[in-house]
Amino acid sequence: MQARSPLARVVITLILLGGSVIFLFPLLWMVATSLKPLSQTSEMPPRLLPYPEAITGSDGVRYPAAFYLSPLSASAGEISRPEETLVALLGREGDQAYIERDTVGGRKERLWVPATSVRIPPVYRWENYWKAVTYKTDELGYIPFLRYGKNTLYIAILSVLGTALSNALVAYGFARIVWPGRNLAFGLTIATMMIPFPVLMVPVYVVFKSLGWVGSPKPLWVPAFFGSAFNIFLLRQFFLTIPFELSDAAKIDGCSEFRIFRDVILPLSKPALAVVALFNFMHVWNDFLGPLIYLTDQKMYTLAYGLQAYQSQHGGTQWPLLMAASTLVVVPVIVIFFFAQKTFIQGITVTGMKN
Amino acid sequence: MGELARRSGGPLLALVAVVAFWLLFRPEPAPADGKVHIRYWEKWTGAEENGMRKVVEAFNARQDRIHVDYLAISQVDQKLLLSTAGGDPPDVAGIWDYNVVVYADYNAIQPLDRYLERDGLGADHYLKAYWELCRHQGRTYALPTTPVSVALHWNRKLFREAGLDPDRPPRTIEELDAMSERLTKRDAAGKIVRMGFLPTEPGWWNWGWGYFFGGRLQDETGRATMVTSENVRAFDWVKAYADRYGNRDIQVFQSGFGNFASPQNAFMSGQVAMVLQGVWMANYIHNSNPSLDWDAAPFPYPADRPDLVNSTPVGSDVVVIPTGAKHPNEAWEFIRFLQSQEGMEMLCDSHWKHSPLSRVSENFYRRHRNKRIRLFYDLARYGNTFTTPRVGVWREWQDEIKTGFEQFWINGKKPAEALAYIDQRIQPKLARYHANLNRN
Amino acid sequence: MKGPERVAIKRKRGLTRVEKTNLRNGLLFVAPWLVGFGLFLAYPISMSLYYSLCDFSVLQPARFIGLENYRQLLGDEAFLQALANTVVYALAAIPLSILVALSLAMLLNTGVPGMAVYRTIFFLPSLVPAVAMGILWLLILNGKNGILNLVLGTVLAQWGWMSLLLLTLVLLVRSGTPDPPHLKGRKPGRPRGRYLGAGLAGALVLFLTWQSGNTAALGSCSINLPSWLSETAWVKPAFVLVTLYGVGNSVVIYLAGLQDVPVHLLEAADLDGATWWQKVQHVTLPMVSPTILFNGIMAIIGTFNFFALPFVMAPGGQPARSAYFLAVNLFDNAFLYLRMGYASAMAWILFVIVFGLTMLALRLSDRHVHYGGS
Repeated sequence: MQARSPLARVVITLILLGGSVIFLFPLLWMVATSLKPLSQTSEMPPRLLPYPEAITGSDGVRYPAAFYLSPLSASAGEISRPEETLVALLGREGDQAYIERDTVGGRKERLWVPATSVRIPPVYRWENYWKAVTYKTDELGYIPFLRYGKNTLYIAILSVLGTALSNALVAYGFARIVWPGRNLAFGLTIATMMIPFPVLMVPVYVVFKSLGWVGSPKPLWVPAFFGSAFNIFLLRQFFLTIPFELSDAAKIDGCSEFRIFRDVILPLSKPALAVVALFNFMHVWNDFLGPLIYLTDQKMYTLAYGLQAYQSQHGGTQWPLLMAASTLVVVPVIVIFFFAQKTFIQGITVTGMKN
Repeated sequence: MGELARRSGGPLLALVAVVAFWLLFRPEPAPADGKVHIRYWEKWTGAEENGMRKVVEAFNARQDRIHVDYLAISQVDQKLLLSTAGGDPPDVAGIWDYNVVVYADYNAIQPLDRYLERDGLGADHYLKAYWELCRHQGRTYALPTTPVSVALHWNRKLFREAGLDPDRPPRTIEELDAMSERLTKRDAAGKIVRMGFLPTEPGWWNWGWGYFFGGRLQDETGRATMVTSENVRAFDWVKAYADRYGNRDIQVFQSGFGNFASPQNAFMSGQVAMVLQGVWMANYIHNSNPSLDWDAAPFPYPADRPDLVNSTPVGSDVVVIPTGAKHPNEAWEFIRFLQSQEGMEMLCDSHWKHSPLSRVSENFYRRHRNKRIRLFYDLARYGNTFTTPRVGVWREWQDEIKTGFEQFWINGKKPAEALAYIDQRIQPKLARYHANLNRN
Repeated sequence: MKGPERVAIKRKRGLTRVEKTNLRNGLLFVAPWLVGFGLFLAYPISMSLYYSLCDFSVLQPARFIGLENYRQLLGDEAFLQALANTVVYALAAIPLSILVALSLAMLLNTGVPGMAVYRTIFFLPSLVPAVAMGILWLLILNGKNGILNLVLGTVLAQWGWMSLLLLTLVLLVRSGTPDPPHLKGRKPGRPRGRYLGAGLAGALVLFLTWQSGNTAALGSCSINLPSWLSETAWVKPAFVLVTLYGVGNSVVIYLAGLQDVPVHLLEAADLDGATWWQKVQHVTLPMVSPTILFNGIMAIIGTFNFFALPFVMAPGGQPARSAYFLAVNLFDNAFLYLRMGYASAMAWILFVIVFGLTMLALRLSDRHVHYGGS
């Protein structure tokens, strides 16, 4: 339905722009928070953008905040890494800096330190990202971000592979071969889509337990090799649109069903397979309940689940680092989305348009 | 040529992909040092994790047969249950005392009695309060690591500002309320900016308010005793705070609190002047806000019940060996080291806590970093100690208490009604639980 | 025997050779799914039925107790509350999602420039993992220093001129929409409606200005704003809000559906002098009704899958179990209390409910859903 009058178009554009702002804002907030120092994440009123951090000195004056790394702490032999502390920078003179810091026992102390051991943090803390990936702080414990990423990738690759393979095979069996009982079996397959996952949670857990797989990533990718109703349906619909004359011609040439599947149908089905693979990748990347139930060893956690683990550490939420980590989890998905946007929209459209 | 390349391209590509996949994700080789590696899951992170790590490293360095792999696991109790149910538990796990009975009833952890007998460990080795926490139906299922007792911490600076004597904490509940009133401040718009005392900060012992008023949660027969005059009085007292300061205002005020281990924590940042907190608080104050001028004293008692002086909930972090652990004997070796005076003091000192053992080295308390360590030790040893009920349905019970608590704290129900609700919810579960125990 | 007869006889006995090959091939291709169906669906579901009649903790063998679990469930307030919460949430979230998604899709389908960009923007949030989403909204919904309350507070404080702006817009649109040329000058009923609209809008502005004067007098209006996740009355609306934020998925689907609405139908309606709303009512909605139905059913099933967000944002269903949803309740019973039998009974009740609702939706839709074919 085209909007004809220019005024209506202006108003619609305004509403859409307003909607866009509303939809983008939380994501923007996430990124903005990931660039702030911790002190600016729980202030009143909240501000979107970070600003230079300041500390009130014992004399009541606001001084710029700076990180101070004591030259002594590096050699203290502690297990935890030497840590920068936040101090007030009162002034500089030559290669010396004058700082005020908290000391044990509740006093503030002022001292001259080498200027090289003091650094004024940038307003935008891009280092939060580096910290989120590599950091080990007293508050957060160890964040093996890269490890979680690798675990997720491992499950995702196997799962995507299994999904594409198994569902294509099964969908072929449902779409291109006529056999007795096919329609009944297909109807049953479609009906299983109505089963909410929580219903299966307990008994499937028991199945994996008796296989001895709980605590390993296997329950998260092995089932992909056995097809799923939704993907079977999707691919079947696509296979049905491929002219049957192609198969017939190949049959006359003496091709077996498997060769027709491999050499005729599969090459023509790349877009549909891409949709299925993409959806499966998204599902694995974002899955929370699966890892929650099956992964017990922190070394095997996935990204989406690992995020929750940081959040629930009782030792304080490092909002900027958490948001930086969240951003890093979201970014690959968004990048993939931008590259495969057409496939994506197509896929969603196809899945939604059926009846 | 082209044809050939196209034909062999597929398999070649697949081969490269498989090799790349294997290189990227190949399983880590098991360490070939000839030692037995045992997995130890602990809840701690941060400084407390480092404390335990030192003990683990000391143990690993001391002998060359066993190597303990320490892993910090968040929500360790839940994960332990899941992994035990799944048949792949760690060899040692650090959980909380209130898990012990629950897990013992699930058959998720092993009794340690045969080891204890063999090595001559027993009740006399521990402070009574902590030893009892590890026992269930005549058996010992766990051993304490770091102990808990709890006291009122107050902010001396805020006391001075409010014209109170910073060396004179409240002794009775009535004094606590009066002082709290003087310490509470609102801004021009009527928003709360500081509270003297807030029963739900941190709210970790909400199940236990009744005990401070002489009540209890369970009688000798195992029935829940939620609706007693003492419990109702305790919850009425808690509710009075919501009524006096407005539950809506309190919620807005509370949602600005930072996390426990941060400088934005309600007590560290001076938003709440008095809190009920455990022995670890000194350590966290030192880490988050060393300039805080604080002190600690036993939690107040109702003026008409002087017999309840020095009341404290006691609890403990404990270590257990899960059912199905692959190396229970080696796990015990490690636990044995933890239970030695040396290992335990190394650990408790790093956590700024007292020791659960009945004997400590001469200097342990003298050079302790927690300036009130004697108070916590004395409370545990001589005070009116109480614990969570020792039943296998405590998890459910706790959730019911939490829900009931929120019913009157947020929704304005009468505490007596909320207690009746909890009672009605938990009584059948308890009955079923005891019936099951007797059958087995 | 002659050929045809033989075939006929074979038919009676069983399958022809071709059919046999096809059956073999078909089964071979479908084999992975058959195994998967048996291993991960049929067997677990039948076991689940058995567990639901047992006292079962995984660590000990299941013990048969008959219908005890079901009996307890019906008196279990936590379960009943979770059920009620889920229903309330679904009743608010599903229609609102459909409304918002369909409206956005219709706006996008008006041919204004930049459709692909807007579509991408609306879709982005549905790419965010539920956990990251939950954590992000924890920050945004914070009652004291969350950004949502700041924005709402500002908007409420500025009601006066904002509603004036709104009114101007409404009036502009209503008076400015030029009538289709063939309709000019022959619509007796419409001007009255226009004045009515203007009058209503004016009353609204007056009311809101008065209201904002009130709040201004209070000094600060943020005092009235809920601290979303810690108030029993506001926590479910908060979850609906977060759900609406993830509505982009359906927007894309509706948009595709709308683009399939035959142009000739709309043109015919134009010729008949149909208003915009009449076209929506009689052409667009019937044409996209199958899509709405499909999305609705998926949303019903999705509601019973609603887990990660409440698990992250409202641990234990706090406050006072007002954010306790069925999937979380089931998880707690199964993996926190290790009452797997009880959880299985819960799963079966849940299954029956979902099945019933789906059937109900399909039955109701018979009358209202229009399947192409014209």
